[in-house]
Amino acid sequence: MRRLTRWYGANPLHLLALLGSFAVAGYAAAQLVSSHPVAVAVWFLGAVVGHDLLLMPLYSLADRSALAAVRHRAPRLPAVPWINYLRVPAGLSGLLLLIWFPLILRLGTNYHASTTLSPDPFLWHWLAVTGALFLLSAAMLALRLRRASHPAEPGTRPPASGPGPGTAREPHDPGPLS
Amino acid sequence: MISAWRSRRRPAPRSLARRAAQRLDRLRLGLVSSARAAGRHARRQLDRLPRPDELPGPFRPSSWHSPIRGPWLTSVLGLVLLAGVLVLFATGLLSYAAYNPDLSRLNDQTPGKGWLGFYLFSWPDHPAWLYRLNQGVHVTLGLMLVPILLAKLWSVLPKLFEWPPVRNPAHALERLSLFLLVGGAVFEFATGIINIQQWYVFPGSFYTLHFYGAWVFIAALVAHTGLKTPTVIRTLRGGGLLRELRTDTVHTKPEPPDGSGLVSPAPAAPTISRRGALAFAGGGSLLLLLLSAGQSIGGPLRRTAVLAPHGQDTGSGPDGFQINITAAQAGIKAAETGVNWRLTVTRTGPASSPPASLTRAELLAMPQHTARLSINCVEGWSTGGQAWTGVRLRDLARLAGADRPASLLVESLERGGSFRRAVLSPAQVMNPGSLLALRVNGADLSADHGYPARVIVPAAPGVHNTKWVTRLTFGN
Repeated sequence: MRRLTRWYGANPLHLLALLGSFAVAGYAAAQLVSSHPVAVAVWFLGAVVGHDLLLMPLYSLADRSALAAVRHRAPRLPAVPWINYLRVPAGLSGLLLLIWFPLILRLGTNYHASTTLSPDPFLWHWLAVTGALFLLSAAMLALRLRRASHPAEPGTRPPASGPGPGTAREPHDPGPLS
Repeated sequence: MISAWRSRRRPAPRSLARRAAQRLDRLRLGLVSSARAAGRHARRQLDRLPRPDELPGPFRPSSWHSPIRGPWLTSVLGLVLLAGVLVLFATGLLSYAAYNPDLSRLNDQTPGKGWLGFYLFSWPDHPAWLYRLNQGVHVTLGLMLVPILLAKLWSVLPKLFEWPPVRNPAHALERLSLFLLVGGAVFEFATGIINIQQWYVFPGSFYTLHFYGAWVFIAALVAHTGLKTPTVIRTLRGGGLLRELRTDTVHTKPEPPDGSGLVSPAPAAPTISRRGALAFAGGGSLLLLLLSAGQSIGGPLRRTAVLAPHGQDTGSGPDGFQINITAAQAGIKAAETGVNWRLTVTRTGPASSPPASLTRAELLAMPQHTARLSINCVEGWSTGGQAWTGVRLRDLARLAGADRPASLLVESLERGGSFRRAVLSPAQVMNPGSLLALRVNGADLSADHGYPARVIVPAAPGVHNTKWVTRLTFGN
């Protein structure tokens, strides 16, 4: 038993849990692929590849590029950490597009034929929500910048120990933590 | 016969046993030495693999920089996602039960379910809002979990590029299980989200893919939960959860390297705190809730669902409520629904009287009842409550000579489609709110809402409210 455990690399409970899981998954998968086995497998594989090797690298790259580009082009950065004021509205807008792109991009859906509703508003609604998110974010950043340039009475708040009001440090500076 | 044959083939039991034992020993020695050789060979192969720090791109652990990745963030996101997915799974199973697939094969979109239908029960006919709540939660919560799922997958991405890719059999099996977990999760969310936008690009019936896919996903999720629970407990016990939720960006520190493969060996300075990352994902959930719940709630709140498929008003007037299949789409011709339309009412079984054939005027002359009910779609939206007027299904049962019907087969004029026919349960037939509706909100049904007559049943999935009804057959 001990030899088996050493060869397998985990305790037998691990093996039993996974075999049980594969049994149930296999039972369902046999029905899942029964009509279009290749197409279903392509969809399943495509789900993993599409997310892990396409979508995520793309948005990670966008995030890094935004950080790098703004840092290089704008030598005088605001004195407060600003990246999340860009990251959050862009991320939320991207999330809405990711979910509703068939309607927003007016792909060949049955939507109009079966509901009698027009698919036209979705693009405008998405743009409007995106605009509102960026405006809201800009307003919040403006408020924060204003507070940073007119600090409250000295002594009421302990000085921040990193990038924050009063310390013009870039968020990606190697700080004491890295 | 067999024993005789055996006895003839057993001449010298002792020497045979000895020889067999020797042979077994040789075999075992051979196996052990070849297994050892295979192990040595595998180890040599592993030694020949490049070391992690020599690897290109994402396979090099130091190419991952986020200081907030680590067991804490993954554990918290995992717990939230687990709770949400369990609700999705439960409401999904309930939705399948709501079609009463065991009542008739006509109701079963996944007849090959086998043991996976072990839990099925007769779907109740009250309270009337049951299916509306179930599907509103299933679809809206499903949308809300998308940002949580994305954040969870982001938090574990370095594990995809683990090196060596396979350490031992346990690791290989676990990675295979993770493939089913991630593939199953993305597959389920993708098919659900694409289906509610009626973009039918997936291979086969939505019901087949979403139902069996859910079982593949949940099987992998149960194993994953079992294997990871100790890590989650170890990570979050001792006030670790609250402490981190009180930590801002400036004070956010990377977790100590722990062999989990999540913590970066070369962390950058934090640009967001862990609670900030959670708020980001949670903010996405909140936004999706605000922009889609209106289609399930209806009324004046419908217009708030600006990105949901059924967030638009369909005009005022008695027939100004949501449609999901038009008469044109269903191939209904005006000639079939005009003065020549008849409703055939009959029952199965021996000695049944000849079927009754009723005109619309004759139906209108029967006792009329009004019920305020909504149509609630599997896609998560609801029509939000209309006043339907028509003949009670139980009155029509009595007319057919079936005082206690065992079922009701409703047939539509539709030429094709999965829901051209539906079978209703005894409870659904006998409910005083179950009608063959002829009028809605004080006016005749419009063509798209099922003129000349449609069924309306409380608490049933939308597609069981059959439109353009032509024949009712009560089971005895």
